[in-house]
Amino acid sequence: MTDELQTLAAMAGGDALAFARWASTAEPALRSSLRAFATSVDTEAVLQEALLRVWQIAPRFTHDGKPHALLRFAMRTARNVAVSEWRKLGKADQQEALEKHLAMEAEVGPITPDPKLREHIFRCREKLPGQPKAALEQRLMSGGADDDTTLAQRVGMTLNTFLQNFTRARKLLKECLEKAGVRLEEHVS
Amino acid sequence: MTREEELLLEQVTAAHRERHADGTIRSHPAWHDLDDAGKNEAFEATVELRKMEAAMDPQGQSSTVRAVLSRILKP
Repeated sequence: MTDELQTLAAMAGGDALAFARWASTAEPALRSSLRAFATSVDTEAVLQEALLRVWQIAPRFTHDGKPHALLRFAMRTARNVAVSEWRKLGKADQQEALEKHLAMEAEVGPITPDPKLREHIFRCREKLPGQPKAALEQRLMSGGADDDTTLAQRVGMTLNTFLQNFTRARKLLKECLEKAGVRLEEHVS
Repeated sequence: MTREEELLLEQVTAAHRERHADGTIRSHPAWHDLDDAGKNEAFEATVELRKMEAAMDPQGQSSTVRAVLSRILKP
């Protein structure tokens, strides 16, 4: 818990990199907590909005003394954002489905990167054919800053060709990891 | 899944999202065009992709974390 308090103090002081380190460990659990909303809202948008709100609220956040206080707060925030977005989409009449979503409990706990995955993925990435590799590299370099149309133009592809190559890259990486005995599902909480 | 649906799914797996005028994050237009099975598949594909991205990044940051960090650091 000392680490968590130190992270909170750094975030309250405006340390964005401390926030990024915390967010990297919190993201899998946070995303998992939104699984029940997958057909109701765009969970990627909800997750990013929730992380931004955590950053904004961090200087005023009061730790309750229990483990993973910030992660638990982030999960509540993410669910509130999801429900709010759901209502905006005009689905507020589906009260029964909403209650089912909210009743689902998510596991609380940060997830640390698996060293075996890191070790194998570099080898698998090197084996990718040229076009899929180019599409993957564009997405990785962009880090969500640019849309796919922009990324496709940078590598001289149409949007559809870029997306097809990205799909291929994603599937080839997964197959390569599985051949190496790494199953991504095992690392997802 | 049809080829068109696969293209929609792949767009949804990206971390790039536009903003509303008030700064809040907009859902991806392609997400609205997927049916429920496609939305579930896009969710699971994104879970796996973010895990791979974090493993490939020297700082362990997925494109989601990088997108949010970029937003925070934007002057």
